[in-house]
Amino acid sequence: MSESGIRTPELWVDRIERELGADWPAIRKARLLTSQKRAALRSAFQEKISPDTSLVVFGSIAREEMTAGSDSDWILLVDGQATPEHGDQKHTIASELKDLGFPEPGRSGVFGCMVGSHDLVHEIGGEDDTNSNTTRRVLLLLESLPVGKREAYDRVRRQVLNRYLHDDRGLVRSSGQLKVPRFLLNDLTRYWRTVTVDFVYKQRAETGRKWALRNAKLRMSRKLVFASGLLRCFFCHLDPDAAAAREALRRPQPDAAKLLAYLENELERTPLELLARAALRPQIPRTTAAKLFNSYDAFLSILDGDKREALEGMTESEMAFSPVWNEIRGLSHDFHSGLLDLFFGADQELRDLTIQYGVF
Amino acid sequence: MELSALRLDELQPLIEALDDLDLTGFEFVSFHAPSRFSQQDEMYVVDCLRSAVARNIPVVVHPDVMFNTGLWKSMGPSLFIENMDKRKPVGRTAADLRVLFERFPDARFCFDLGHARQVDPTMIEARLILEAVGDRLAEVHISEVNTSSRHDPLSRYAISAFRSLASLVPESVPVVLETLIDQGQSDILTEIGRARRALDQASLSLAG
Repeated sequence: MSESGIRTPELWVDRIERELGADWPAIRKARLLTSQKRAALRSAFQEKISPDTSLVVFGSIAREEMTAGSDSDWILLVDGQATPEHGDQKHTIASELKDLGFPEPGRSGVFGCMVGSHDLVHEIGGEDDTNSNTTRRVLLLLESLPVGKREAYDRVRRQVLNRYLHDDRGLVRSSGQLKVPRFLLNDLTRYWRTVTVDFVYKQRAETGRKWALRNAKLRMSRKLVFASGLLRCFFCHLDPDAAAAREALRRPQPDAAKLLAYLENELERTPLELLARAALRPQIPRTTAAKLFNSYDAFLSILDGDKREALEGMTESEMAFSPVWNEIRGLSHDFHSGLLDLFFGADQELRDLTIQYGVF
Repeated sequence: MELSALRLDELQPLIEALDDLDLTGFEFVSFHAPSRFSQQDEMYVVDCLRSAVARNIPVVVHPDVMFNTGLWKSMGPSLFIENMDKRKPVGRTAADLRVLFERFPDARFCFDLGHARQVDPTMIEARLILEAVGDRLAEVHISEVNTSSRHDPLSRYAISAFRSLASLVPESVPVVLETLIDQGQSDILTEIGRARRALDQASLSLAG
């Protein structure tokens, strides 16, 4: 029930927890902490975001998975003419986030800065689509949250989606029955592969700093985000709610507007919600759902407690003997196994889509 | 043709001038209400506008200045609600407009293409707006609205964007040009030509 007394629909994650008779306290706690932190952010940044800009935060706060040590990557997204106050805004944001107890963003330079909308929208693929640009654009879709004024965020996100759909000739012009946005899916896959390759790059460049924690996140939350991205694309074909959108693509003059509106709506759901929705499909065994969510809940529990500190300070040589690391390894194997069951298991439709779109 | 009293102090003089204006040569005439006034002035504004309504001249109003629903509701289908540009807190999106027309069920819709494009350059929101409230469409405003929310002459890009919706705008709906040419940026005939290119369904069907 919402604060206004209106009954809100049950979340997919809660439904699956109920149907399995499971108990996922870390997931619930993370959702609650996220809600509190979001409220604090909204209050702190009221009136502090100028027109044509949006403060956009990424990561666990967007996924509703905040834990005690969660940081917050952010950008000041600018979608309009340059004004002098944009520079001041950037400093204000950094200062306010620090006051709210958020650790500073990483040193890569991808976040913690002003970002114009132009490259996000117009540079998809090609030489000028840098690692940073791809990262920001993909996470804008899969793992982001506007704080305060959201008009610039909504405009840019819509323009990005419009590029992916409008430029996807196969989606818009093909007479085939399958309606999966391949251009979008390919870019999400490219991003995931980049993350995995960059992990090794950082291992070399940063001489093992925070390697264990980064490794844990790669195995779990980063993989979840990618899996949810695949599901968002596949649901364009599978979801009955997208039927009108698919039909609009089959008209003599195909129209992707309805599919865009559908995707926009779906992007409001967290990655865990997408995963739960998929795991509730009739052909998916309940054991798959249990594997996925039991492991993820345990992972969040580790991030929320003393074990996180152990992970943060762990060197590569210590990992082989660390019970915490062994625990993470075990959880990540379960999670990975659950994802394989989901995408390649008993659900023929999902399996066929994964084979058709997930390899080549 | 749209008579415009965008500033509050323009309202009374224009209303008083209605008796003296020869409007017989125009197939369609509407009256644009002031775009900004306080709630204290609302009764005065509505009283003035009733003079236009009494002459069968519909009134175009920005939704952010309709404070008292009852006052405006009485205008019935002579009330045209306009979609807003990005500066305004309400009336920009299909969702906003749906709620507005629930408040004013008899009102009709003035569709500002320039505002819609400024809010969403992909024109998706414009399409959603027409899907939601297009059955109430009674007037169209056409112009280019720049990032400062000023009405500019139509660029080829605006024309191209508006053409994507041309088939959704009935030919019978009157179109009001809002492009500003006060500093010689363009001229009336050129802008009329551009507007025709943007909304001409006949040329669309030939091109299609």
